[in-house]
Amino acid sequence: MATATAPIGHTGLADRARALVRHRAAGKLLLLALAAAVIVPFLNARWASGTWPHALTVDLTDPLGKVSTWIIDNRDSHPLFLYFFGYISNAVVLSVRAVYLVLLAAGWAGVTAVAALVAWRTAGVRLALGTAAAFLTCGLLGMWVPTMQTLALMVVAVLASVALGTLLGLAAGLSDRTYRALRPVLDTMQVLPAFAYLLPVVLVFGIGVPAAVLATVVYAAPPMARLTALGLRGADTGVMEAVASLGATARQRLLTARLPLARKELLLGLNQTIMMALSMAVIASVIGAGGLGDRVYQALASVDVGAALAAGIPIVLLAVVLDRVTGAAGERLGGDSRGNPRAWAYAAVVAVAVALAGRLTDLLDWPDAWAVHIAEPVNRAVDWMTDHLYSGVPYIGGTADWAGHFTTWILDPLRDGLQWLPWWSVLLIVAALAWLIGTWRTALTAVLAMAAIGVLGVWKPSLDTLSQVLAAVAVTLVLGFAIGIAAARSERVERLLRPVLDVFQTMPQFVYLIPVVALFGVGRAPAVAAAVVYALPAVVRITTQGLRAVDPAALESARSLGATSGQQLRQVQLPLARPALLLAVNQGVVLVLAVVIIGGLVGGGALGYDVVFGLAQGDLATGLVAGAAIVCLGLMLDRVTQPTERRAKKGA
Amino acid sequence: MSTATPRQDKGTEPVFSVHNLWKVFGPKAERVPADPELAALSPAELRSRTGCTAAVHDVSFDVRKGEVFVVMGLSGSGKSTLVRCLTRLIEPTSGGLAIDGEDVLAMDKARLRELRRHRAAMVFQHFGLLPHRTVLDNVAYGLEIQGVSRAERRAKAAAIVTKVGLEGMEQRRPGQLSGGQQQRVGLARALAVDPEVLLFDEPFSALDPLIRRDMQEEVIRLHREEGRTMVFITHDLNEALRLGDRIALMRDGRIVQLGTPEEIVGSPADDYVREFVRDVPREQVMTVRTAMRAASAEEAGRGPAVSPEATVSEAIEAVARTGSPARVMDGGRCVGVVDHERLLGVVAGTGVPTDDRAAEAVAPAAGHRAAEAVAPAAGHRAARGGTRPEESGPRPEESGTRQAPARDTRAPGTPDAGVPVASGEGEVA
Repeated sequence: MATATAPIGHTGLADRARALVRHRAAGKLLLLALAAAVIVPFLNARWASGTWPHALTVDLTDPLGKVSTWIIDNRDSHPLFLYFFGYISNAVVLSVRAVYLVLLAAGWAGVTAVAALVAWRTAGVRLALGTAAAFLTCGLLGMWVPTMQTLALMVVAVLASVALGTLLGLAAGLSDRTYRALRPVLDTMQVLPAFAYLLPVVLVFGIGVPAAVLATVVYAAPPMARLTALGLRGADTGVMEAVASLGATARQRLLTARLPLARKELLLGLNQTIMMALSMAVIASVIGAGGLGDRVYQALASVDVGAALAAGIPIVLLAVVLDRVTGAAGERLGGDSRGNPRAWAYAAVVAVAVALAGRLTDLLDWPDAWAVHIAEPVNRAVDWMTDHLYSGVPYIGGTADWAGHFTTWILDPLRDGLQWLPWWSVLLIVAALAWLIGTWRTALTAVLAMAAIGVLGVWKPSLDTLSQVLAAVAVTLVLGFAIGIAAARSERVERLLRPVLDVFQTMPQFVYLIPVVALFGVGRAPAVAAAVVYALPAVVRITTQGLRAVDPAALESARSLGATSGQQLRQVQLPLARPALLLAVNQGVVLVLAVVIIGGLVGGGALGYDVVFGLAQGDLATGLVAGAAIVCLGLMLDRVTQPTERRAKKGA
Repeated sequence: MSTATPRQDKGTEPVFSVHNLWKVFGPKAERVPADPELAALSPAELRSRTGCTAAVHDVSFDVRKGEVFVVMGLSGSGKSTLVRCLTRLIEPTSGGLAIDGEDVLAMDKARLRELRRHRAAMVFQHFGLLPHRTVLDNVAYGLEIQGVSRAERRAKAAAIVTKVGLEGMEQRRPGQLSGGQQQRVGLARALAVDPEVLLFDEPFSALDPLIRRDMQEEVIRLHREEGRTMVFITHDLNEALRLGDRIALMRDGRIVQLGTPEEIVGSPADDYVREFVRDVPREQVMTVRTAMRAASAEEAGRGPAVSPEATVSEAIEAVARTGSPARVMDGGRCVGVVDHERLLGVVAGTGVPTDDRAAEAVAPAAGHRAAEAVAPAAGHRAARGGTRPEESGPRPEESGTRQAPARDTRAPGTPDAGVPVASGEGEVA
């Protein structure tokens, strides 16, 4: 601290004041306080109210309603729809349908065989067995057809995302100007909750498969574009120079050097795109995606945990299989990645043979007799839990009691407190936080985003959502840092945690709602719980890695000076891991927000509920305003917690 | 090597002809070479006045056919920029540059590609290999770019792979090779396109000392076998002295001295060069031709014979073995002798004493030093694996064309003021 170094003599006070101003953070705060002292009395005199002043809102419901009505009226007649969106929509429907029919025609045996063989060739025998088991489990759970529906939608969406992402990535990778223009957009898109993407596409395409696919593409393409651009830009300059020195043309440089050098990033991009596409394809059930997500959605709507679980397990299996197979393909790169064409041919022949056998023996659809219905036993178990664990357990209370206490003791006071705060003070707090951790630019963005929420007229529900986010983030960080520190200090803990984290990080957001509903019923507390569970793995992982990455020489020198392990942690590891910890906070906030919003489906209320309500009632205006508020909230939260360095990739 | 005399007498055109070449980095770089006032500024002044850095500062030299031309300097001296300017991997700011008389700076894209594909190939410090390709495909890469058919380029590449001693590793990937092996692949890739000139950009700096010596031997062997012109960039003075027919010593983008290793070591152009070559084991660079004196009739008849191109260190060995002055024999004729005094004078860096008084003044210090210096020198020489005799062997006829060593022009007997006589620091660092 500069204050500590200032000489304290008879002019000590003045020096201290000067030193205080010189200190960056203090200077920023002082400046902010000055600005506030001038502006606040004025604002207060003009619009004195706790909540956002009504005079400052713009009611968008009417114009948005009109736009939506116009679109619905003109969807079948206006040339823009007839010749542009109409074609897109038809193409999407046709291709999803085609893929779906192919999958059905291959039969369960054929699909399983093809999937297993692809896994075998790219990732080895163990993953092939795992893949086959996963697909068979989907069938056993009686979810074959919904799985195929989801898969068909995924295939189309992933292909489109990869094509779009690669094109954007190529443009950004090869041109500095495109990169500068595209990067902030892609960065921002990655922090927005999935729900925010749903309404604009619904506005244009209506509820249905085309909207679901396009929302998925918009959500899943950015990581591909980002990583393609990163990979192309990160090509080893030495290699590129050597290639140029041999007289390669620009085309040869791209095809023989730059693209192959970026293979790792390209495959990582593919992996992330697939995972995000799956996550979105499931959420998009809200706008008519059908398939597994729809089953979960319907089941959750009637609090039928058993049915939700039966559809949720295939989602998790699909996620794990897709993640492991693409991940393994990325890791096998260094070795003989080319693959043996003959082995591929054999694999193809076997797959076709299995598919034909399935056809001939008339086993296309998964036989009903083989299905295991887990919904009822699960529901019985849940009923038992409701009876015995919900409340009244001696001494520890019950899960519903916990949820209730959490709501009344933490969520309610937090929400009421936020809503009680004068609106300008909220803006001030946002500005101060964002400026302290970032630059004046991030502070400005954050304040403007927060103000936009007020202008949109959704101040109150947004603060409700914010209160849930804050509570969830606090819990996540306390747990995450504790577990992260434990894992960083003990190899054994880390070894135990790793597989758990791996699985949890691959699961789509939607799935987390199922167990919390079983445990806590519906309401805001379950939404917060789901958010905590969803964000925890990323926070733990980043914390552990950050602490582990601390320069061993610094630790060694601390040890050689006789520091206790507590001192090492406090004085060396934590300060040096500060960037990683800040990143963990940022990630935690972004991930928590995504799930808190989805929590609208299980009684989380606030913005998420507005979106669902808007979709369910066809009241697009309400939904769109809420969607815009979600975007602003996401932007604000990201900027407030964003250290100067952008994070490299989304944790989920 | 210092013994390989450039064949400029054959009247061939220089391979590379560089004159008044500039490369300035920074805003509005082109005004710096154009303005004599700016051009005369020191690097620090130039930076503060214009924000520019002159990486290559008004450089002129010719690279003769078949020679190993070494550009040497510390990091930041502009040597790597200079070699990249030769094939316009970095675009020079101004000046003239010709290859075989053809203006390189006037070439269009296609012609320049042609130059890079067929006439000049480069070996890089960090290898620059394609990690996703096998060794064989890496070596064949230059041919692939030229559009050579798969079978033909593979056959060619296989031959080159054998030539650089990597047989059996064709199917490995660069990541599975050691640093030395990777650089052999880099060398093979450059050789595969059969270029007129090989450009080396600090190729061995990233290698361990022993591997480095192996690779230097490899380059010497290749040069002896093929006689290919080479431009070799290094920051290692010993490497420069080992490999170079001529050495250009760079500092702050300028060439401060250009000459044979013997000239650089024997008569440094300024204090910078003097300081630079201070620790060089002179007895391994200087030849007996420089150190000898006229023989008396008696001396011309006996004593061990050495060639004029032999190093002082070799002569020391001969003299120490027999105990009498060595005769310098050129084509069966005795052209002079070297005795203890002469040889020790070279080792001590005190110049060649001409009278007894000087000899007396030097002798105690020199004698003391010689005892320490000769032993490591002999070891050093042994490690060179006797390349020198073989190397000077094939072209005895060329030795006659050697220019009179600059050393002779110095006032004899005046000890170098800048060179401390003290102690045994003359060993290889």
